[in-house]
Amino acid sequence: MIEQGPLLERLLAGDFICAVSDEAAFRHLQDETIREQIDDYLRPLNRRLATNTDGTVYFLSWLRLDEAAREQLSRQLGDTVGSLMPMLEWLQLVQEALGRDGLAAPGDVLKPADFSSRCEDHQGLRERLERLASDPFFGSQSDQLDAQLKQVFKRLKEHGYLQQPHADRQYYVVTGKIDYLIDLVRFIRDEENLPIEDQAPTQQSLL
Amino acid sequence: MSGGDPHALESRLISAGVERLALLGKHAETLMAGYACDEVPLEGLSTTALNRLLAARILWRPDEQSGVKLAPKVRELIAEMLADETRRHVNADVAETLELVRTLVQSYREARDAGEYWRQEQQLLRLRQEVDDLNGRFADAIDSLWRRLNSDFGFVSRLGDKIRENERAQKQIVRLLDGLELIDFNELIELVGSDGALRKLLVSGLQQQLTHHYTSLREVQRRLIELMARFRQQQSRSRLVAGMVGFLREHPNFVPGNYAMRSEVPELINRAAPIMPAGAVALDHDADARLAAELLHRLPRPASRPQPVTAAGAAELPEDTQVAARQQALKEDVEGFYLAVVDHDGEGLSALEYLQGSDLEWDEEIWLFQVIAEYQGLPRSEQRAFRLRQVETQASPLNHLYLIHDVQLQLALPA
Repeated sequence: MIEQGPLLERLLAGDFICAVSDEAAFRHLQDETIREQIDDYLRPLNRRLATNTDGTVYFLSWLRLDEAAREQLSRQLGDTVGSLMPMLEWLQLVQEALGRDGLAAPGDVLKPADFSSRCEDHQGLRERLERLASDPFFGSQSDQLDAQLKQVFKRLKEHGYLQQPHADRQYYVVTGKIDYLIDLVRFIRDEENLPIEDQAPTQQSLL
Repeated sequence: MSGGDPHALESRLISAGVERLALLGKHAETLMAGYACDEVPLEGLSTTALNRLLAARILWRPDEQSGVKLAPKVRELIAEMLADETRRHVNADVAETLELVRTLVQSYREARDAGEYWRQEQQLLRLRQEVDDLNGRFADAIDSLWRRLNSDFGFVSRLGDKIRENERAQKQIVRLLDGLELIDFNELIELVGSDGALRKLLVSGLQQQLTHHYTSLREVQRRLIELMARFRQQQSRSRLVAGMVGFLREHPNFVPGNYAMRSEVPELINRAAPIMPAGAVALDHDADARLAAELLHRLPRPASRPQPVTAAGAAELPEDTQVAARQQALKEDVEGFYLAVVDHDGEGLSALEYLQGSDLEWDEEIWLFQVIAEYQGLPRSEQRAFRLRQVETQASPLNHLYLIHDVQLQLALPA
């Protein structure tokens, strides 16, 4: 168990562990025996390992829910829901600004410099970024493009959606926490029966 | 055999072929222009040259009114040579080849029975070429499929196009596999009889090659299906996010249910509160005490206390006059910032934003340091007139180092 010390510490600190944020740890977590060992260790702390729908991220959840835990969960849910709109708008902005096929996915590399060059050429993107950066979730107070981008990336890193492999190099890797966010969006849609379609209207059934 | 010497016929074919192949090289640029657009541009092409190209069936004219176009075979040849996946055709056309093989085997047999060795050799050569062609077509098709797969269908840019291209590739595979099905080895075994050369060519050799193609096709098919699943997932995610953004825009007051209060809390919502593991030196443990003492010795010494606050602390007299001049300039610029705060009617100003909004070129860290130093250097009574707020975050959840990102300065309004 001693070799899982750093992993346990990260999990206990509330980190999401995925193949991007900690590849070795994530590999360990694929092993059922190790997962059981970790659960045994966590039991007295009233915690257990949990994962998202596709098993691409691991995090800790409460083992037994008491009143205090429920309070904490509703506060947390409120925060997450509050961050939903800016996060989803950011995902769309990335897709459009970088001319990508799909949304940013775990393992994708993002560079603030790419955004600033696209935004400089494109007034519409520039305005959207400005609006987004000043959202309380990102909280930029600057009117400078580079400062806004810096703040947005900093906040995404703090929230665990991005990882910066080298502190002095301006490139970031999208983590598996994005998968969790998408799963949550799908969950809310299903729970609330929101009229949101995610399948293409005309599909030939090849699969 | 009809019509003169077969050797002469062959040499005539060869020389005509060489002549026509040379046409391709001679008019390469015009032909490529025709490949890139709909029609072949006729400027710079003499009437003789055009007639030669038409006679060689490199070009053709669909009807009198329309322009001149590349012949389909030439277009295919170029697409193959360039591995141009947008225009490459996948077509193994097995049925026709099989038909031809049957005919050739018949002729071969007749020639053998009549003892016409040269003709027998010729038929065998054509058979070998047909079998090679069939193999080549499968190999080309498989190569084209792999290329498209490995580039993630990079030759089209939109996800919708990629999905359609993937569907098309999967249909091609089905057709190729159907083609392979048509080859009935029992029939071929019967057809070749006891002839060793034919058996080697049409049974053992072909079987080995086709098995190889079959395995490759199945593998490409599996990978295409996987890739398709990824495309579909990407597409579904984009739609989901776009849909949710649209919904939240229309319903800005939407609040989902409080899932945390349900009797069964959904898995996704159940995220335990973080715990910060903390540790302290165990002074009752001898080995630890020694280690602690060592660590204590290694702590950096606290910097010597600044001078009493009569003069601005950070602006100590440097020896170098140039440095002193810059220090003075920095101090004056910071004073400018303080004046701006005074002029700002009691609203807070961010030191960094002021710096970025001005033409000043100080390093951000030095600037913040001086703004703080200036504040600390003020007499107590004047200090009370300002409120200095540090925008800071904890460097890591595991220690108490705070990093200052910015400083907000505001006039303290009389209560």
